[in-house]
Amino acid sequence: MSGICRARLTEERKQWRKDHPFGFYAKPTKASDGTMNLLEWEVGIPGKAGTPWEGGVYKLMMIFPEDYPSKPPKCKFAPPLFHPNVYPSGTVCLSILDEEKSWKPAITIKQVLLGIQELLNDPNVNDPAQSDAYTMFKNDKAAYERRVRQQARENVPK
Amino acid sequence: MQQDIEHISGIFGVEPDIASLLLRYMNWNKERLIEKYMDNAHAVSTAAGIVPPEKSPEPSCSQIGPRRSSRLGISKPSKSKASERSPPAGEPFVCPICFDDTQQETLALACGHLFCRACWGAYVSSKVRTEAESWITCMAEGCALVAPDSFVRTALGDDAQTWARFQELVVRHFVSCMPNLKYCPYPSCSYTVSCPAAASKSALATIVPTVRCGASGAHVFCFGCAIETDHRPVICAVAKMWLQKCRDDSETANWIKSNTKECSKCQSTIEKNGGCNHMTCKKCKYEFCWVCMGPWSEHGTAWYSCNRYDEKASVDARDAQSKSRASLERYLHYYNRWANHEQSARLSAELYAKTEQKMEEMQLASALSWIEVQFMRKAVDESVRCRGTLKWTYSMAYYLEKGNEKELFEDNQRDLERAVEELSELIESPIDPEVIMSLRQKVTDKTVYVQKRNEIMLEDTARGFLEGRWTWNVDVEGFEKD
Repeated sequence: MSGICRARLTEERKQWRKDHPFGFYAKPTKASDGTMNLLEWEVGIPGKAGTPWEGGVYKLMMIFPEDYPSKPPKCKFAPPLFHPNVYPSGTVCLSILDEEKSWKPAITIKQVLLGIQELLNDPNVNDPAQSDAYTMFKNDKAAYERRVRQQARENVPK
Repeated sequence: MQQDIEHISGIFGVEPDIASLLLRYMNWNKERLIEKYMDNAHAVSTAAGIVPPEKSPEPSCSQIGPRRSSRLGISKPSKSKASERSPPAGEPFVCPICFDDTQQETLALACGHLFCRACWGAYVSSKVRTEAESWITCMAEGCALVAPDSFVRTALGDDAQTWARFQELVVRHFVSCMPNLKYCPYPSCSYTVSCPAAASKSALATIVPTVRCGASGAHVFCFGCAIETDHRPVICAVAKMWLQKCRDDSETANWIKSNTKECSKCQSTIEKNGGCNHMTCKKCKYEFCWVCMGPWSEHGTAWYSCNRYDEKASVDARDAQSKSRASLERYLHYYNRWANHEQSARLSAELYAKTEQKMEEMQLASALSWIEVQFMRKAVDESVRCRGTLKWTYSMAYYLEKGNEKELFEDNQRDLERAVEELSELIESPIDPEVIMSLRQKVTDKTVYVQKRNEIMLEDTARGFLEGRWTWNVDVEGFEKD
């Protein structure tokens, strides 16, 4: 891991422990021998209150490349999420996570997670990533919402 | 390119760096840039990422250089407020990217977003090296300011390789924006070719802009399209159509031809993949015999062994069959000849090697010197070139409307083809010391003749395009169907 990458992730971790938005969690994963893997974080994003996503906390893996923060982290819902902008693999399609679009090295983990939370109830129909959620969102909003609520119930933290 | 930059820099009274950014933003369209800039200099500068929005219109870029600044919290990305740029004395600078507080050297664009030099270096270098991007925006979130050349240079420090790559990217951008310039498509060739005649799209309906780059005589390509060979005499639109058709059709067509038959009633294509000869069309439920193609009802009890080949109904059915196959046949006729010449051209490397050997043998077998056996090489050169022409004439002939013009075209084509075949035969004939002198004479004559025929073919076709003599049996881009 390069110097910049490690220093930045260590600091991100420090800042997150000091202060983070309510309902979220984010921590580097641990290898089997107990050492911390800074390049892979396990995070949880709560659905916003007042939306069909409310109640659920959606689990996501953040995978940082070696040249982070020049390159954005890869964010992947595990298990994959029913959402128009989430690929069948679970990977999130969002402009601030695309190095050729709006990714900037100055964007923090907190901003990324808040951005994804924002995306949950405000999908971008110009950039569909899976057909199931996209077609249902376009053709049958009521069924889409039912499905989202169902998903929220399945993701209530224990 | 440098001229354009100096020109703009002179007119607007801005630094060359800024002029370069403005031009890059406008895709090097100088006239439009001047027009827009005169109209509203500030709006253009903002959009081009030279000045931050809502600030003084004066494009200033003098903030490059070491500077110290206040602590910028990670949760609060700086929004380019002037207050944050004047550092309270004593506090060490902490880069918001790497959180290193030991870095003394910092850089910022005109927006004032300060980051340490190491981070800038890593960022710029990754943009240039892995993304091939020359339009490098500020690292701060949402900031659209673009790094001018001198800033990139400073950020990269002594990484001369990346700096060279950056400059190359800028030049590439320039070339891609100029309709009369193109890069030579050959691998690792960095030459640019200028072809003003082919700059407009409409010209491509009448000419085939074949160009040769200055690096090597072998780097011949078409300026008008993406085909990386000389596709004379056909024009780009037709050549493209033909290649597309070949990609889609040739294999499939061959397979269909050898593995299927059409239902004599509804013309659906049917593959027989087992079972007896009693076929029932899936679509129209027509029952027929696979062997004679006649209706099954007439087969009586002679099932499983068809001996009714000459019955009237069967003959009719086969006639219909052959008609529907005719168009396929026609295509395959042209395709096979096209592919044949392509194949020969591909084998040309081998042919050259063989000829080389032959030339040596010749020198041993006769009193001819090295210079005197060069006629063989010339002959091979010429035959390869002609096969290239012939190849494309088949694609042209496929699309040409029947008529006198097409007949003339095919006459020329036939003459050339016959001559090339004869030449090829001569080249490959065994060496006999007795007749070597006469062989030499024959080959040289034939080479000259073939060369002439090739010129005639190319010239006549090109003239035909200029005169509008060719008519197509399909819609061709740039031609009006009457």
